[in-house]
Amino acid sequence: MNTLDQRVRDTFVDLADTLVDDYDVIEFVEGLATRVVDLLEIGASGLVLADHHGSLNLVAASSERTRALQLLQVHNAEGPCIDCYRSGSVVSCDDLSTADERWPRFARAARSAGFASVHALPMRLRDTVIGTLNMFGRRSEHLDSGKLELGQALADVATIGILHERTLRQHETVAEQLQAALNSRILIEQAKGILAERHRVSVADAFTALRAHARHHQRKLHDVAGNVVDGSLDVPAEPRPASGAVPPARRHGDSSRR
Amino acid sequence: MNDDRTARVWTSITTQALAHGVAPDARHACYACAEALQATGVGLSLSLTRTPGRALPEPVIATSPIAERLEELQFTLGEGPSPEAAAQDRPVLVADLAADVNQRRWPGFLAAVGAHDIAAIFAFPVSSGGARVGVLTVYRAVTGNLSGPELADGLAYADAVLVLTLDHHSGLPVSSGGRRGFDPVDFRAEVHQAAGMVSAQLGVSVTDALSRLRAYAYAQDRRLADIAHAVVSRRLRFHPDGSVGAPDADDVADTNEGRADDSDLEGRA
Repeated sequence: MNTLDQRVRDTFVDLADTLVDDYDVIEFVEGLATRVVDLLEIGASGLVLADHHGSLNLVAASSERTRALQLLQVHNAEGPCIDCYRSGSVVSCDDLSTADERWPRFARAARSAGFASVHALPMRLRDTVIGTLNMFGRRSEHLDSGKLELGQALADVATIGILHERTLRQHETVAEQLQAALNSRILIEQAKGILAERHRVSVADAFTALRAHARHHQRKLHDVAGNVVDGSLDVPAEPRPASGAVPPARRHGDSSRR
Repeated sequence: MNDDRTARVWTSITTQALAHGVAPDARHACYACAEALQATGVGLSLSLTRTPGRALPEPVIATSPIAERLEELQFTLGEGPSPEAAAQDRPVLVADLAADVNQRRWPGFLAAVGAHDIAAIFAFPVSSGGARVGVLTVYRAVTGNLSGPELADGLAYADAVLVLTLDHHSGLPVSSGGRRGFDPVDFRAEVHQAAGMVSAQLGVSVTDALSRLRAYAYAQDRRLADIAHAVVSRRLRFHPDGSVGAPDADDVADTNEGRADDSDLEGRA
């Protein structure tokens, strides 16, 4: 067994373990987005789910930068995840410098965010596509069939994770479970906003603080966010220096923290 | 993007309002929903209180006497599909009220309902994350699940009621039902983050914050998404005295994101 096989096996064992517990669906998909990046050695990843209006909503991303890109993609109704969602098939672009005609706004925005390739994989339940798993590469890159298969396996696990949540409740349909996941994301975004304002930090740092608090206290992210929003809990949050430009100590009077 | 459903739902609501020669409100949404889902009645109960998630919602609209009675009964007893949808913030879909499992679930409510007038109840939370506004309930005389499209319709009507109720709450003339009624694109991460930020700025619930954001966007004739972006980028701040404007100098310095080119966004809410 080579190293990648080992890591893949460990990842799936970990994910399966998570699914046994009473897990938080957003924490699960956030973790999955990070694992996609690690295992496939790509720049960033994100998951979008369709709501009952037929619009795609971001539920998880490996970084805030991808988050922005995903949102832009959805806003403009163009880009690989929309194409993938509509067709139900893999949408790949190995080199975004050739995609200006296909996705004029998305291709430009993705390149300026530092991405050179993109791959979108469908999240399928039988014949229904519920969303897509999107992967962004820092360089022009062709994903071979092995990597695509691995990506698809992770997309399938994401689908199971989202739709299996609360299976014990009776009469729950796919639409209700998707609704629950999307609503959970909304609650978390609101909590991020409250903490970002209260502690003067970025929404990304507020999210880091929320997740750290939930893990430390072994609580669901959803429940912690709910407490922040209803005013019964404050979670301390500190600004984190931008990566790559960490000064040894912040200079007195330095006002350039993000 | 497939927003046919959104367009159809809003058209049905506007049509109801036009028939009465008034601007669309939550009442029209209830009647339109009853028609679309072939319901015996539709009820709306609201909980626009200052302490979110506490008090049970109160019945405010019913499209038929049966719906009115069942709303009153459920929220008086605090038991039934609608209070459960409110408490758990998820749809509660009951295809056969008389089933044994439901008798055990809501014994008091079902004893009071009797067997004669209703067979199925579908309760949809009217909410957006922590902004919990109430419950929209569909009462049907025949047993059976909602189909997939019917379920999506129910969720879409609940979204429409959310928007109409928030705008009514902030005193907007709800002519916004048409063009700006429900733009799914407006309900994006930044809008929810902005609702959280404004709630902290004003010391109000996220429900009230969302309502204020919508009212401000309407007053400035800007898209909600644009206003939310300015709030999240800390170029726009809501003040407790009712004014809306540029952030304090130290906020700008703190985030290094302040820009001077958004003076056109400033004004009074």
